[in-house]
Amino acid sequence: MGNEEKKPKINLAIYWGAACGGCCVSVLDVHESLFDVVAAADLVFWPIALDIKYKDVEAMPDGFIDVTLFNGAVRNSENEYMAKLLRKKTKILVAYGSCSHMGGIPGLANFSDKESLLQRVFDDTESTENPKKIRPQTEYEVKEGVLDLPEFYNDVKTLDQVVNVDYYLPGCPPQTERLVEVFMAIVTGAELPPPGSVVGALVKSQCDECERKKSDNKKINKFYRPWEIEDDGETCFLEQGVICLGPATRGGCGVRCIKGNAPCRGCYGPPPDVIDPGAKMMSAIATMIDSDDPEEIAAIVEQIDDPAGLFYRFSLPSSILRRTIK
Amino acid sequence: MEETRIGLYVCWCGTNIAKMVDVENVAKEMESMPNVVVSKDYKYMCSDPGQDLIIKDIKEHNLNRVVVSACSPRIHELTFRKALENAGLNPYMFEMANIREHDSWVHTDREEATRKAKTLIAGALNRVRWHESLEKRTVDMNPATLIIGGGIAGISAALEIADSGKKVYLIEKSDKLGGHLLNVDLTYPYMYSAQEMIKPKIDRIENNPDIDIFLNTQIEDLTGYVGNFQTKISQDGAEKELKFGSIIVATGLRAFNPDSIKDYDYANFPNVITSVEFEAMLKSGKILTKEGKEPKNISIIHCVGSRNHDYHEYCSRTCCMTALKYSNQIRSALPDSHIYHAYADMRAFGKGCEELYTKTSGKDVIFLMYDQKNDLPKIKKASVKDKCEMLIELNEKLSGESVEVAADMVILMVAMESNDNAKTLGQTVGVSLCGNEFYIEKHPKLDPVATTTDGVYVVGSCQSPKDIPDSVSQARAAAARILAKINYGTVEVEVTTAVVNEELCCGCQTCVCVCPYTAISYDEEKNVSVVNEVLCKGCGTCGSACPTGAIKCRHYTDQQILSQIEGLLSKSLELQEV
Amino acid sequence: MSFQPTIVSFLCNWCSYTGADLAGTSRMKYASNIRIIRVMCSGRIEPTFVLKAFREGADGVLICGCHPGDCHYHEGNYKCLRRFHLLQKYIKQMGMDEDRLQLKWISASEGKQFAELADSFTEEIRNLGPCKVKEVMETLT
Repeated sequence: MGNEEKKPKINLAIYWGAACGGCCVSVLDVHESLFDVVAAADLVFWPIALDIKYKDVEAMPDGFIDVTLFNGAVRNSENEYMAKLLRKKTKILVAYGSCSHMGGIPGLANFSDKESLLQRVFDDTESTENPKKIRPQTEYEVKEGVLDLPEFYNDVKTLDQVVNVDYYLPGCPPQTERLVEVFMAIVTGAELPPPGSVVGALVKSQCDECERKKSDNKKINKFYRPWEIEDDGETCFLEQGVICLGPATRGGCGVRCIKGNAPCRGCYGPPPDVIDPGAKMMSAIATMIDSDDPEEIAAIVEQIDDPAGLFYRFSLPSSILRRTIK
Repeated sequence: MEETRIGLYVCWCGTNIAKMVDVENVAKEMESMPNVVVSKDYKYMCSDPGQDLIIKDIKEHNLNRVVVSACSPRIHELTFRKALENAGLNPYMFEMANIREHDSWVHTDREEATRKAKTLIAGALNRVRWHESLEKRTVDMNPATLIIGGGIAGISAALEIADSGKKVYLIEKSDKLGGHLLNVDLTYPYMYSAQEMIKPKIDRIENNPDIDIFLNTQIEDLTGYVGNFQTKISQDGAEKELKFGSIIVATGLRAFNPDSIKDYDYANFPNVITSVEFEAMLKSGKILTKEGKEPKNISIIHCVGSRNHDYHEYCSRTCCMTALKYSNQIRSALPDSHIYHAYADMRAFGKGCEELYTKTSGKDVIFLMYDQKNDLPKIKKASVKDKCEMLIELNEKLSGESVEVAADMVILMVAMESNDNAKTLGQTVGVSLCGNEFYIEKHPKLDPVATTTDGVYVVGSCQSPKDIPDSVSQARAAAARILAKINYGTVEVEVTTAVVNEELCCGCQTCVCVCPYTAISYDEEKNVSVVNEVLCKGCGTCGSACPTGAIKCRHYTDQQILSQIEGLLSKSLELQEV
Repeated sequence: MSFQPTIVSFLCNWCSYTGADLAGTSRMKYASNIRIIRVMCSGRIEPTFVLKAFREGADGVLICGCHPGDCHYHEGNYKCLRRFHLLQKYIKQMGMDEDRLQLKWISASEGKQFAELADSFTEEIRNLGPCKVKEVMETLT
């Protein structure tokens, strides 16, 4: 009595790279569970919520942070610097959310390159007036000294293409309940899966949880965009000719999109053993085409407007080809 | 995990590989590849000493993987798998790199061929690391046999099997048994009567309780696998189902239609007849022209439709000797007639055949040689002064002279060609056609009656043109193979099947309708797909269709193939710019 | 002087691989750029394998299967055909010439056709020049 040993709190950091902010919001979405979180952890770094400077992080001893949730992809030198810095300071580095896991939506920039993107943003957009063709500089001299800006990279990278990652917590954004589960597992000292594992997601893919009626009648004569058909709300999207990435995507999100009558877009990433979910899904979808005639097959394939964007919406930088070539 | 220890063996294949690939250098250089414990080159890996070398090394060096870089795995993969088995290793811990058919035999630059050999081996070494032990599976053998075709080949096989007390279903599309032999008079070279040979056999078949005969019958479809086939047959419109463990395809041949050879004008000359028609004439006992007269001048043109790129490239094998047989039959029926052979080469390789040729040559028969490839004879209508009905013009090759031969009757020795339904039936039973539309045997030299579909055998002229003894030999060989399997009681079935990882399968059912063998079903209770491994033939299509990666295609796993790709494309082994 | 493309070819066991074997037994000669991977059926060939080959440095990928109607497994080649069309569209979007990936039917008796195809495909890829996927990949790591 009274000598009950108090478990020491862990140091928790949350950082964002090339991200939309949704992942940070998903952390805030823990709502009342925040009390459990702060009871078990000290938040030592979280730019969206706490005023802690990079130099404070630099000053931390190596391994000072127990867990860092790194969301966002790596798309500029600042992202990379922070990824490396946090790797050094952190015991367990978690790639949090689709962008750090697979590249995510920012990863779609790999369909383009630095020069075309800058040209679009600084020259071509309808609202841009830039007669001097000014482009972002990494250094700019003002009378107070030299200002520096991060270097914008040609390619978007996933976190593990830059540093070693201990765990992946997928989703765009991750389901908050999954985060709490993982967090509580870490703070309670539960046995953790081997490094490199995906946590906070199921081993089985979406269809296992999806309540739509499924049969073996997976034959497609015509592909439809979701708004082109009247979804009956009950039948497997694939059986209605709508491409749903559910079978090649891990469960764990609670099939939120599908419950909202939108097909799965793949943010939870591939099930174990699948190295390129887009390629697996292309293989499955093409197999379903109900024709043996080369011309008819080609015509049906033409109905998929943008296979690269569709099948690799969240995973382009982590895919086999990673980006377009010229 | 157990350490991976690979033995690599590079075969010279005498000079077949060694001439174009520096096998010693390959063996030496590949020794430094990861996990390679021994790397050796040897004259003939498939020989007994070659195999013993592997077995000895497995034991001595504790190898758990073996790569042999030699000929095509289609030839010797099984040989080496057996060697591994003899050494106590699982036979699937083996991979072959094909540096003969795909390298030394097809390339001309030794340096490039050597480099390519290394890439192929690097691929095999990478792949074999991921190989897994697979356990043999057996199923019971249904002792019944389906024989398709009631000619001499089908009949011989049927009797061989039924005489051992095993069930035979004999299917014939026409209304009687006997096939082409029913229309044959005497047979070369010993002039045995065909009818005396075939009739007693048909009687025996008809009286054998173990043989069910189905005349006027077609095969509708076929399912199953070695040991357990089933088919639907339709006999005069009525359908029936049969179950059996083995299949013999003995569908024979058809005669070439000479209409397409314009210079022979078969359609318009009434006395230009095919060897089939002449045979019928002999059988009827009278050699007469259409006008009912005894022909004075009889010409026999060889190789009609054979050995010519416009018709069939192959030799039909029996026509030369049949033509000689005709000379003998004509000579005895019409002693004063003139007999001419327009021939290309005389092919007299069978037992007693050269003797027949010699004997016939002494019977006042004239042989005129023509150029079969480029200069076929021409048949023309003779004028009144020629005192014959037709003239055959040909450039005689040996004398170099143009020759005209009088003819009242011309016999065209028509080619044998595959039956018109060969392709359809082949697709039904799972046997492919060669470029000449005959069925392909499993191996042209070492496995001439089996096919690539286990349990299906091809015998007689449906496999290639054949004479009676060859057809009978093949038929009995197939029967012996089948009886051995029946006797054993069980057969080994495909082990490189697909398997569903229930931990991963999400029940999307994409795979279910992909399987051509309905081997995949959906287990509603577990919400997973299930592969019936007995029905699965290991094509791997379901594995490629599975979006979740839950289906593993044994021995062709993603990991194995991806690793092989990595090995094949190792940077150090790239072709250099020249 | 002339660019030596690296070509990976996936062949089905029953028709195309046998056809390539026949080219060998018939001692036909063809370009040595092609490196063959055997699968049981062209229906086993996945986009993943093809993309992997490009990533590891293939300048061209040639898939061969049994002629339509002749598949040893009845219809695996049709599955392959469907995937091929989608995959060609995808690699085109990724900035590659879609002709770097081709699908041809080679039967067990078409040794000559295989040898000619190996030559003509090599030539076609030679004209397209090196595939940049691997080079780009190297700049990324």
